[in-house]
Amino acid sequence: MMAGAEKFVEADNAEAIITRIEHKSRKIESLLKQNKPVEALKTALEGSPPMTRDERCKSANWIAVHRALMAIKDVEGMFSSLDPEYYDILMKYLYRGLSTGDRPTCDQCLRIHEKLTERAGLGCILRSLADTVNTV
Amino acid sequence: MANPLKLYLTCIRNTLEAAMCLQNFPCQEVERHNKPEVELKTSPELLLNPVLICRNEAEKCLIETSINSLRISLKVKQADELENILAKKFLRFLSMRAEAFQVLRRKPVQGYDISFLITNYHCEEMQKQKLIDFIVQFMEDIDKEISELKMSVSTRGRLVASEFLKQFL
Repeated sequence: MMAGAEKFVEADNAEAIITRIEHKSRKIESLLKQNKPVEALKTALEGSPPMTRDERCKSANWIAVHRALMAIKDVEGMFSSLDPEYYDILMKYLYRGLSTGDRPTCDQCLRIHEKLTERAGLGCILRSLADTVNTV
Repeated sequence: MANPLKLYLTCIRNTLEAAMCLQNFPCQEVERHNKPEVELKTSPELLLNPVLICRNEAEKCLIETSINSLRISLKVKQADELENILAKKFLRFLSMRAEAFQVLRRKPVQGYDISFLITNYHCEEMQKQKLIDFIVQFMEDIDKEISELKMSVSTRGRLVASEFLKQFL
């Protein structure tokens, strides 16, 4: 059963989190229009709500991240400007993308996965497998 | 077309290298029993997140890990009815002889065509890298085998039909 703290996050913050995510999506859209896909991805990954169990928050955030991921054309360039602290959360989202089964999403995710593993190593993959608390 | 396949196999290889960290773990509930935890799924603290890697709508690979065992389930590409039947028969043939393969599971997991179960004992006896090479090689060979089977079936069908219809010429 969920602890009391979890319920608190659920009821009150779920709405707040979803509003924050919508706000973030608008910012991402404007960044994409200005042709800055890496900035858009950073914005999408930043406010990821890790401690909520609410499926809607996770789905809403996934949609935002997905939008930013599909806009990326130059994978090497992206990694040169992305900070290492984002690698773990990006790996979790890549696995979520790979589980969708949608061909263009999977192609993009496979491409980024290969480069991310080269950069971040197997530890990154293992952290995304082992983290059962903060799932995306 | 080969390039997306290579990316897919690389992704699976990297995930397997990270996930294949198995150690001996005797059963917590029953004394003197040692069971593959990934099959039973009784204790959530012994299981890692399952990972589903899809290449497209038809092909996917499910990797489930636990503390002492790892289960890999594959769904192979089946373009038409003939490939469907060939794949089913061929993989059933292999699964029946699972004893010889050691890491093969006799029945595939629901929704998939073939499954592997790797336990800590396999990792102790055999090299981890070689196990991963085996699985990735298996995936490549399956596709080739099924296309070869399909081609031989169509060739035989054509020969038989032409021989049969000669009598009506």
